[in-house]
Amino acid sequence: MNTKRAPFNFFKWIQSGKVNRRLCVVTFMLAPLLLLLIFTYIPFLKMFQFSFYDMKYIGARKFVGLKNYSEVFSRKDCFQALKLSGYYIVASFVQLAMALWFASVLSFKVKGGGLYKGFMFFPYLVCGIAVGFIFKFFYTRGFVLDTVLQWVGFSQESLPYWLKDKSINNISIAATSVWRYMGQNMVLFIGAIMSVDSTLYEAAAIDGASGFNKFRYIVFPSIKTIIVLNMILAITGSLSVFEPPYVITGGEFGTGTYFVIMNKLAHESQKVGLASAMAIVLFGLILLATMIQKFGEWYFLGVGEQEAARTIRRNKKLKKQYEQQQRANRTEGGDGI
Amino acid sequence: MRQRYGKRFLAVVLIGTLTATLAACSKKEEAGAGKTDLGVTFSQIKLGEHTDLKADLKFLTHKTDVVDTEFKDYVTEFQKMYPNITIEYEGITNYADDITTRLTTGDWGDICMIPTTVDKDELENYFVPLGNLDELSKEYTMLLNYSYDNKVYGIPSMGNTQGIVYNKAVFDKAGVKELPKTPEEFLDDLQKIKDNTDAVPLYTNFAAGWTMTAWDAYIDACATGQANFAHEGRVKGDNPFADRGDQTGPYAVYNLLYEAVSRHLTEDDPTTTDWEGSKARLNKGEIACMALGSWSIVQMKSAAEHGDDVAYMPFPISVNGKQYTAVSPDYNYGINCNSSADNQLAAMLYIKWLIDKSGFELTQGGVPVKVNAEMPEFLKAFDGVELLYDVPVPAGEETLGNDVNNESELGINISGQMAKSVVEAAIDGQPTMEDLAKEWDEKWTAAQEKYGITH
Repeated sequence: MNTKRAPFNFFKWIQSGKVNRRLCVVTFMLAPLLLLLIFTYIPFLKMFQFSFYDMKYIGARKFVGLKNYSEVFSRKDCFQALKLSGYYIVASFVQLAMALWFASVLSFKVKGGGLYKGFMFFPYLVCGIAVGFIFKFFYTRGFVLDTVLQWVGFSQESLPYWLKDKSINNISIAATSVWRYMGQNMVLFIGAIMSVDSTLYEAAAIDGASGFNKFRYIVFPSIKTIIVLNMILAITGSLSVFEPPYVITGGEFGTGTYFVIMNKLAHESQKVGLASAMAIVLFGLILLATMIQKFGEWYFLGVGEQEAARTIRRNKKLKKQYEQQQRANRTEGGDGI
Repeated sequence: MRQRYGKRFLAVVLIGTLTATLAACSKKEEAGAGKTDLGVTFSQIKLGEHTDLKADLKFLTHKTDVVDTEFKDYVTEFQKMYPNITIEYEGITNYADDITTRLTTGDWGDICMIPTTVDKDELENYFVPLGNLDELSKEYTMLLNYSYDNKVYGIPSMGNTQGIVYNKAVFDKAGVKELPKTPEEFLDDLQKIKDNTDAVPLYTNFAAGWTMTAWDAYIDACATGQANFAHEGRVKGDNPFADRGDQTGPYAVYNLLYEAVSRHLTEDDPTTTDWEGSKARLNKGEIACMALGSWSIVQMKSAAEHGDDVAYMPFPISVNGKQYTAVSPDYNYGINCNSSADNQLAAMLYIKWLIDKSGFELTQGGVPVKVNAEMPEFLKAFDGVELLYDVPVPAGEETLGNDVNNESELGINISGQMAKSVVEAAIDGQPTMEDLAKEWDEKWTAAQEKYGITH
C-alpha cells in the first residue's frame, strides 16, 4: 500500500522499448503522411468545397449548392469531351498488348536485350511537356514523320496533315502516349514475369509445351494481377488525358479532352467552381470505372491466388449436379453397391 | 488497449499539424487586412531621396527573355543611387496563369506585373495605392486599367498600339504600292503576295495560342473609331458581334481572318506553327505579315539580319475613310500591400526609376507612359491615323467587362478563343462567319443578362 513509486523520469520513459518503438513508427510515418496530407488530401478537400461555390481565383465566393454539378451535366462540351477518351482507351489496349509482347520476348535471353529494354523505357523518362514539343515537330508538315514516310515511298501529297485533319489528329496524339508509356508497362511486366518460378518452364518444356502454351498456362496466370493493375491505370489515365493535347494542339481542332476543357474554364474564364465540380464528377467516373474493372477481375480472372468467381460458381454447380446425380443413382439403383 | 493508444497518439499528431497549417493560412489572411500608409504618392516621391533606405525586393516578371540581361543592368544602374536596395528578379514562363495563384497567397514578393484576373474592386486587397488618379494623370497616361475609386494601383511598364507587323521588302516585291486601308484591300494585297512571291502572306501563329489574342485587340477602338466602344459598345451593346455591313466593327476584324484562311492566304497547317521561328522568317521575308501588337517590332527586327525590312502598319479598317488605332497599356507594375513599409517605399522608388530613367519602353518598342514624351520611330508610319487612348468606365461598372467576358467564356483579350474558332471554322468550311457571330452574340447576351444588362 505504501510502496513508493519511482519518480517519473521522462528520459527513461522515452527510452523504454515500448515508447521508443512507437516513437520510431510515428516519426518515420510523419514525413510521408504530412506530405500526403498537405499535397493530396487538403487540396482535394478544398477542391470539393470549391465545387459548391460560384468563385474566381480572386474575389468573393458565393455558395450555390449543386448548381455547378447540374451545369456539368447539362453542358454539351463536358461529356462530348469524354468521348475522346475512347481514342485513348483503344490506344492503351494497343499499348498494353505491345508491352506484354515485348516483355514476354525480352524476359528470356535475347541478344542485346538490355539495350532494347533501355531504348523502350527511355521515353517514359522524358518529361511530358518535352514529349509534346517533340511530337509537335515530329508531325509538322514535311518534317520527321513525313520525311520517313517519303523514304518508304509515300508522296507528300498523299499524306494527311497529322494534327489539322480532324479524322486523324486524335489518333496522332494518342499515339504519342503509347510511345511514352509502353516502355513503363513493359518493365512492370518483365518484373512480374521474372518472378515466375523457373522450374515451371522446365516442367513445361519436358511436357513439350509450345511457346504460346507456356505463355497461356504459366506466364499469364502468374502475372494477371499486374496486367489488371496496368489496365486500371491505363483506363484511368485515358479518362484524364491532359498533357499531350494541351501541349501539342492546345485542345484545338476537336482534340480538347475533358481535362483541357476543365483547364480552359478554370484559367481562361475564371470559373473555378465549375471546373472543380467537373473534377469531382470525373473522380466519380474513374471510381466507377475502377470498380467495374475490379468486379471484372474478380468474376472472370480471380483475385491473386483465388480462382475466378465464375469458375468457382461453375464448379459448385457441377459439384451439386454431380451429387444430385449420385443421389438419384443411389435411389434408383437401390442396393447397387 | 495498446493499439488504441498508438492510434490516439497518431490522431493527436495529425490534428496538431492540421491546426498548425490552418492557423498559418488564417494568419496570412489577417496580414492582408492591415495596410501600411506610406504617406507619399508616386508623383510626390523623388529619385535621389531616401538614399540610405535598406530593402531586399523580389520582382515577379513575365519578361523571361531579359531577366538576365537588361534587367540586371537596370539593377546595377539603380544601385548606384540606392546601394542598400537589392532587387531579385524572378521570371515566370507561364506568367498569366501562375501569377493569379501566387497572388492569393499574399506572400509572393514585392513588385509584380498585375494580371488581368484581378478585378478593379479587388485591387486594394493586393496592391498599394500609388496616388490619386487626377493627380497622377497629369504626368502619366494609360492609368485607367488598374484604377478604382480615383485611386491608382498600377503604372504601365509601357504602352502598345495595335496594327500589323510586316516585311516591307516582300510587300514591294509583290507590287503593293500603297498600304491597305480596308479589309478588302488587305485581302487583295495578300493575294498579290501569294501570286508573286514565295512568302506566306499572313502567318497566324495559331499553335502558340496567346498570339491569337492580338485579333481581340483590334475589335474595339481600331475597328470602330470610338474610344469608349469596348465598354459602351461591346460590354453593354446589343449583339456587338453582328455584321454591321460597312466593313467595320468586331465582325469585320474576324471576317478578315476568316476570309484570309478560307482563301488559303495563311500558312498550310496552323496546328504546327512555330512562334520562335516565325520571328526570323518574317525578318528574312519568308513570311509577309503577322497580326501582333507593336511590342513585336523590336523582336522581329532583331531576329535575323534584315531588321530594316520590318515595318508596322495600322490595322486595315477605315471608319468613314479614317483609320484609328488604340493605345493601350502593357502589363502594369503593382506593389504588394503585404510588404513592409520600407520594401513598399523601395519598390515605389524602383518603379519610378524604371519609368523615368530606364528607357525600358524604347528598348521594347513601346509607347512611353509619361505625358508628352516623344513617340517612337515606328509610329511615323501612322501618319493620319488617330491614336485613341482608353477612356474611363462609368463608376459602378468597373468590373462589368471582366464579369461578362468570363461568364460568356469567349475569353476576349485572354485566350484568343474567338480567333482560334474562326481559323478552325474557315478550314472546315463550316460554320460560316455569320453563324459564328450569331453563336458569340447568343453567349454574350446571356452573360449580359446575368449581370443585368438588357436591351
